[in-house]
Amino acid sequence: MDFGLTDEQELLLESLGDLLERECPESYIADLDLNHQQPTSFRKAMNDAGFGSLGFPEEYGGTPCDAVTLVLLAERVARQGLNNGYGLELLQATDILEFGNEDQKREILGYLAAGEVPFALGFTEPGAGSDNSAMATTAVHHDGLVTFNGTKTLITSALASKNLLVMAKDPAVENPREAISMYLVPMDSPGLTTNRLDKIVWHISDSCEIFMDDVTLPESCLVGVKGAGFKQLMRNFELERLVIAANCLGQAQCAFDDAASYAAQRVQFGKPIGSFQLIQLKLTDMAIKLENMRNFVYRTAWMVDQGLPLKSQGALCKRYCAMAGFEVADEAMQIFGGVGVTVGTRVSRLWRDLRGHRFGGGTDEIMVHIAGRQIVKDHS
Amino acid sequence: MKIVVAYKWAANPQDAEVGPDGTVDWSRAKGAVSEYDPVAFELARVLADTCAGEVVGLTVGAAAIDTPLARKAALSRGLDSLVMVADDALRGADGTRIAAVLAGAVRAIGDVDVVVAGESSVDVGDRQVAMTLAAQLGWAGLNAVRAVTADGGSLVVEREVAGGVETVVAGGPVVLAATADAALPRVPGMKEILGAAKKPTQVLDLAALDVPAPADTIAPVSTARPDTGNRQGVMLDAADLPAAAAQLTAALRQSGVL
Amino acid sequence: MNVSSQAWVVVADDATIGGLLGAARPLGTSLVALVAGRREVAEAAAAAGVDRVVWLGEPADGVPVEAYGPAVGRVVAEAAPRVVVGPATDSGRVLLGAVAAATGAVVLAGASELSLDGDKVVVERAVGGGIALRRDRVVAGTAVVAVAPGGTVAGAAPVAVEEVDPGPLLALRVTDRRVTPRVGVDLGSAKTVVGVGRGLKAREDLALIEDLAAAAGGELACSRPLAEGVDWVGKERYLGISGQTITPDLYVAVGISGQIQHMVGVREATTIVAVNSDPHAPIFRECDYGIVGDLYTVVPLLAEAFRAARS
Ligand SMILES: Cc1cc2nc3c(=O)[nH]c(=O)nc-3n(C[C@H](O)[C@H](O)[C@H](O)COP(=O)(O)OP(=O)(O)OC[C@H]3O[C@@H](n4cnc5c(N)ncnc54)[C@H](O)[C@@H]3O)c2cc1C
Ligand SMILES: Cc1cc2nc3c(=O)[nH]c(=O)nc-3n(C[C@H](O)[C@H](O)[C@H](O)COP(=O)(O)OP(=O)(O)OC[C@H]3O[C@@H](n4cnc5c(N)ncnc54)[C@H](O)[C@@H]3O)c2cc1C
Repeated sequence: MDFGLTDEQELLLESLGDLLERECPESYIADLDLNHQQPTSFRKAMNDAGFGSLGFPEEYGGTPCDAVTLVLLAERVARQGLNNGYGLELLQATDILEFGNEDQKREILGYLAAGEVPFALGFTEPGAGSDNSAMATTAVHHDGLVTFNGTKTLITSALASKNLLVMAKDPAVENPREAISMYLVPMDSPGLTTNRLDKIVWHISDSCEIFMDDVTLPESCLVGVKGAGFKQLMRNFELERLVIAANCLGQAQCAFDDAASYAAQRVQFGKPIGSFQLIQLKLTDMAIKLENMRNFVYRTAWMVDQGLPLKSQGALCKRYCAMAGFEVADEAMQIFGGVGVTVGTRVSRLWRDLRGHRFGGGTDEIMVHIAGRQIVKDHS
Repeated sequence: MKIVVAYKWAANPQDAEVGPDGTVDWSRAKGAVSEYDPVAFELARVLADTCAGEVVGLTVGAAAIDTPLARKAALSRGLDSLVMVADDALRGADGTRIAAVLAGAVRAIGDVDVVVAGESSVDVGDRQVAMTLAAQLGWAGLNAVRAVTADGGSLVVEREVAGGVETVVAGGPVVLAATADAALPRVPGMKEILGAAKKPTQVLDLAALDVPAPADTIAPVSTARPDTGNRQGVMLDAADLPAAAAQLTAALRQSGVL
Repeated sequence: MNVSSQAWVVVADDATIGGLLGAARPLGTSLVALVAGRREVAEAAAAAGVDRVVWLGEPADGVPVEAYGPAVGRVVAEAAPRVVVGPATDSGRVLLGAVAAATGAVVLAGASELSLDGDKVVVERAVGGGIALRRDRVVAGTAVVAVAPGGTVAGAAPVAVEEVDPGPLLALRVTDRRVTPRVGVDLGSAKTVVGVGRGLKAREDLALIEDLAAAAGGELACSRPLAEGVDWVGKERYLGISGQTITPDLYVAVGISGQIQHMVGVREATTIVAVNSDPHAPIFRECDYGIVGDLYTVVPLLAEAFRAARS
């Protein structure tokens, strides 16, 4: 089995490393976290270097890309300590590039080029979390217009975005799978209001509730085919789970490296704490988890590239990496002692950010819900 | 205008092993485009873009410098094409020999107007090869170059001198060695890396360049590990910094260095 | 090629040649200065204790010394001295390159020690960017060596300046010169030097290091990245293989990893103190005292302690 990188992957990682050193040092990330800001200048630099159009169709200036390369880059950015720094936004943008109209595409590409968040993703609702089919937000088409009513919640980066990619249903259609469509709604649309939700994780991205009261827009805000919203959203789900898993791997590796260096340096009882077997046990188990995560992520990416059916693999991978990543960060924090929980110690941020991944992209439990059913089905 | 970037595929000495007798084992150090050479690539590309010029990369060395990775690493840095001389006869060659082979290659490329090089190589760092190359070609050579532009048939070069900056106009072909901070080299982008393999590479045969191997002029006498002064290496306890500061100050006072 | 027993120095329009003469004198039976550049430089060389001065004539207005490369190469090749010592400076390397091309010799740069073994020149120099030392004997042809030019020398009875025709010069012309004022700094003779590296997060924070230097009664210096690229500290203050070499009693390295290229310039310090947050930083293998810690907490404490100790 070949675990080696291609020349191109090696060179991409080298370039990315240079770019991270220049544009995304720890001091920059710590500032973003403290001030709750998006990594706009870093994203812009990534875009200028061509990393911002990875996997886009060539007619949009994109470069074709395999899943292994995508997760390599996502992991590397995460290893810098930056949460959700790279990858997801590209997968989400491909939804628009694939299904959107020309105006929507042009707008989204423009924001990406400027390093801005092109849109936030709105499907969760107060009454529809894990169960998307319970979605209650309505989109009623009339006279070439669409009118939205409903509430979205826990929406990441909406306050920093110009648009919201809304999932809403046609109340006239019974089957929830066929009722849901996808729309690109400007955040400044009349009737759309927000309420910030302060959270203890993911400080560089804001979260909010979004209320839509008779928000009425031209029908051209529809993305893709009416009634196909769910299918469109699902198209990239496996890859998104994989990128989230790679993000967890990178951040966990970062926490591990910090903790291992600290253990070598912190002296208690006259010795570096790294010389105590209890600390070595932690580091060893953390290293095992990291290795498992790495194998999981890269084998899953390899399966994607081979065109093999993923079945439960994506859900298993996401669940394992979100949980193991957090466990690694938690032990890393423990190795730091009290310093680990203070603001400004990187491990505390990694711990917070990794915790968020046990919800975003589907909870740990929902991954069981997905994988478990599939496993039983495969053996029936 | 035809611009050649002379760069080196070199390993970082930090990754080499130095034996107790001062012999250097490079076998575990990996090659890369030498640390300051990306600045030369950048100057060359910028110059070429302002005068519809062409940038040819040029590197010479042992056979091992010619790998697909090494080619792509160079070609992704804004080159139009790459020329290399990769021959084990050049393993460990001295600067004058390397400069002679570079000169042979520049002549083989033909119609070259300017050669741009980095400040120094990471593995040798003598800052001599580019200027010896200039002399081998019978061209002018300038060090400490910060910027270069084309003006009709001449090149206008800005270079650092003690206490200031000079503008020098070169009427003929010239070899320039850039300062390490002459330009902020762009990192090779996605497209450049993925497109690198499609660009042309020409491997020149050393024998065909007609650069005869010189007689040995120097013979090694001995090697040694640099004396790092047998430093005391006392690590002060970081857990109690004020105490560490006091302990350090006392020790420095006592040995009379403070 | 048979060589004479003479030692030559190549002078690149700069009269600070003490280092060149000191290096070359013991290696030959007579000492000849080949001067490219202005007459005043040739005259200074003539009064610096050499046996002969060969001068390539007064450069026309705007002609830089680099234009004399071919002339220098030709004159040296014709004379075939045992050794040529030239300045390890930007223009010096151009002239030495010309000598190398004309004689086929290797330019031996970074020489730390020159000696004679019979009639052969032996050169000790750092190789691999300073990771090792190597001693070579020049067995054939002229030895060509680059060394730091050193200071000015005067006071000897002047010898005649022999002007020779340089032949065709290279087509170079200086059309403009802008002076950037820089405060002169003599790190070479400083007793205490405080060097700072990329561990420093922002330019404003230099005040912290300047304060430590003041408290220690020393000069501020830095690693190369702080003088180039970010330009937080003047280029004349960076230490290392391509910067300054210092020989202080005390060198305090703050937020400097201790890469070989830096250490080469500070190894002669009597005592080295390192402050770095990374316990694995290479500098801890080459220091007398090390403190693992964040410079932002360590430096103020050190400054306070130094100040108290010195008052
Ligand atoms: C940091 C963060 C960012 C987010 N960003 C976005 C965003 O940008 N856009 C967006 O639309 N949404 C976003 N979400 C919402 C996220 O998708 C939901 O939180 C998630 O789907 C769970 O929904 P819920 O919070 O309503 O929990 P619920 O669905 O109410 O679940 C509560 C608990 O019950 C468990 N549970 C639910 N169903 C089952 C079951 N069948 N079997 C076993 N256990 C079950 C869950 O795992 C959980 O532990 C984000 C959430 C977080 C925390
Ligand atoms: C041909 C060539 C010639 C060169 N010549 C020279 C030369 O003459 N001189 C020179 O200096 N370099 C030279 N270099 C560059 C050299 O290789 C190194 O890149 C450079 O010395 C590194 O500088 P640094 O130690 O400041 O930075 P880094 O290597 O990045 O080290 C920064 C250090 O700061 C520490 N740190 C970070 N934050 C803190 C904190 N808060 N508190 C305490 N410590 C902290 C880090 O742990 C790290 O060890 C040359 C390179 C080449 C290729």
